[in-house]
Amino acid sequence: MSSTTTRRRVAAASLAGLAVFAAGCRGGSEDPADGGGGEGGSIATDVGVTSDPCPEAVNPDNGCIYLGTLSDLTVGPFAAAGPTIVAGQEAFWNRVNEDGGIGGYDVNVSEYVRDNQYNPQVTNQVYQEIKPDILGLAQTLGSPPTASIVEDLAAEDIVAAPAGWTSLYLFQDVILESGPTYCAEAMNGVDYAAETYSAQSVMAVHYAGDYGGDAAAGASVAAEANGLDFANVETTAGTDNQSAAVAAIVDQQPDVVVVSTGPADMATIVGQSVAAGFQGRFLGSSPTWNAALLQSPAAPALTASYQLLGPWGPWDTDTPGHEAMRAAAGDTTPNEFFLSGWVWSYPMKAALEAAAESGDLTREGLANASAALESVDYEGILPEGSGNYANGGDAAAVRTTQLSDVSADASTGVTVAEADLEGSTAEGYEFTEACYEAIDLG
Amino acid sequence: MRDVLLTTIRGLGFGSVYAMLAVSFVIIYKSSKVISFAQPALMLAGAVLVSYLAGPVGFYLAVPLAAIGIAALGLGLERTTIRPMIGRPVFVVAIITLGLDIAIRVVVNVFIGPDVRNVGDPWGLNTVDVAGLPVQERYIAMVAVLVVVVGALFAFFRYSRYGLAMRAASLDQETAMVQGVSVGAMTALAWAMAGGLAAVAGAFVGAGGGVDQSTWIIALKALPAIIIGGLDSIEGAVVGGLLVGIVESFFASYQGEYLPWLGQNFSLVSPYVLLLVVLLVKPYGLFGTREVERV
Repeated sequence: MSSTTTRRRVAAASLAGLAVFAAGCRGGSEDPADGGGGEGGSIATDVGVTSDPCPEAVNPDNGCIYLGTLSDLTVGPFAAAGPTIVAGQEAFWNRVNEDGGIGGYDVNVSEYVRDNQYNPQVTNQVYQEIKPDILGLAQTLGSPPTASIVEDLAAEDIVAAPAGWTSLYLFQDVILESGPTYCAEAMNGVDYAAETYSAQSVMAVHYAGDYGGDAAAGASVAAEANGLDFANVETTAGTDNQSAAVAAIVDQQPDVVVVSTGPADMATIVGQSVAAGFQGRFLGSSPTWNAALLQSPAAPALTASYQLLGPWGPWDTDTPGHEAMRAAAGDTTPNEFFLSGWVWSYPMKAALEAAAESGDLTREGLANASAALESVDYEGILPEGSGNYANGGDAAAVRTTQLSDVSADASTGVTVAEADLEGSTAEGYEFTEACYEAIDLG
Repeated sequence: MRDVLLTTIRGLGFGSVYAMLAVSFVIIYKSSKVISFAQPALMLAGAVLVSYLAGPVGFYLAVPLAAIGIAALGLGLERTTIRPMIGRPVFVVAIITLGLDIAIRVVVNVFIGPDVRNVGDPWGLNTVDVAGLPVQERYIAMVAVLVVVVGALFAFFRYSRYGLAMRAASLDQETAMVQGVSVGAMTALAWAMAGGLAAVAGAFVGAGGGVDQSTWIIALKALPAIIIGGLDSIEGAVVGGLLVGIVESFFASYQGEYLPWLGQNFSLVSPYVLLLVVLLVKPYGLFGTREVERV
């Protein structure tokens, strides 16, 4: 080996060592912001909070709280939803900043947005990249990706807002979920169908796992509670893969079908079943709807036979929170994912406010503040008392659902038919673990 | 009997789309000896292009325009990323197509957005009475377009100079070059034809339901079809695609009733079971060329 090559390698190794040292300092040291942001000087901080203003700060005199985002932005199965959810949360935090920020700090959710590709390995990798720079996560999309980092989140006291409604989130302490779970939603749907449509039989057509499986578990519990026949039909993603589900529906003719798939698959199932003569009702879990389906060939069938079970009222709903969201959205094309990004941000805001109030915006301070939250002000989007994270998973579970009809006149194609639906099954059900793990669907 | 016929027609409909996709894979394989994993992205791009064009020009004009557009894209891909790799191991080229697939899909996803895009087909979920059977019009359209496209392809390969040159180049590149055939041009033409075919298939994948960001997965159904038919056989790809569609359709309709112990959604696995059975009997596929190796 020549001496030149050796010198180069030594220099490269030294540079690499320096970089590692610098990175270590960045992650491990007390931030100079310790002592507060722009206004007080009495707030303790550690990671992800700076006394310097945020990039392109709304309030240049404020310090900056950095929240990361791990979302499906390009090639994952929810890449259609991820960017819109991010836009919704950015609008939410922009409004918070325009109102003066929190405790002398603006909140930045744009600097550390990473694509998790809905892949646990990628999620873990990008999470490790941004971890030294963030106080919490404004969004972690998907249960499998979140599962890959949840232990580390708990160990590091990093609080995160999820993008999803699986009942698993009720039992993960650092996750600040919002709204009813797929499980509770399906319970309310089946209770409603039993009462309103005098349904005698229920079929759950669903993807496997924490989404579809969760809804099917809820439907199963409610069917049993109402003395209805229950059939479980698992399906997989892809409009060309729904023939078996359609055959099962047409063959067994249940009175009501609870569908928990993606929008295109739901439209295929509903459209094909109705075309084949099925005359029962369809109730769709919240992710089944997309306004563009009104332009699809299945639109007449959807209008006639389908209703949406939603965690909160759709875009046009008249609450102060919805009104603020619409104002913040401006010219953005109305989209329920945008609204979801907005609503999922409320608990993090409440936790940050509580932590700032107590003078401790460290990770531990934020985790303590969020764990002590007994309610969150959702500005009317969710019922009073929602956001009770202080008393375990069962107390945290929201049990009301908004049932919507398809309406071409509504901005997102759906309008509330039954507000704050809360059936006896969900009301009496005790959430002790994730529904899809607790209930055997056979 | 009525249900069996309807199940068969549905299988033939979807099978026709699989067959078009399978033919697009085979055309590239015959010219480059590479399985192009970029076909799903080209199919999706074609469907999305149709969804944008159908409004202004109508579905019937949108489909050929999209086919031309995606053919140009295929041509561009060949010239920029595949041509420089001539002489390199085909495995490397296959991996490049995998990268192309992801890159194209990311771009196309921007044009799809969060919504389901309607391709503007005139059939929707309408049915027409055929000998007393309520047959969905789109299935008839799928079969019809397969017949037209495959007929045109066979005529092209049999009667046109370029078709003959492509066949010569795929049989033996060096000999074809000696005879004055531009092998590079033939490969480029193959990629363009495969792109156009994928676009047409994409338009029919979206017929009746629309396309979203996950629609590309459907193109992978062509993989068992090309193995069943024989990797280097266009007629094999057609038969393989139709067989996959029919087998899948029958399992979807009847497996739950007659073979419930196989579990739910066995129809998704059924093409691969068929593939294994075919390969046990005919290792090179139903119409594949048996490789002769000198020892």
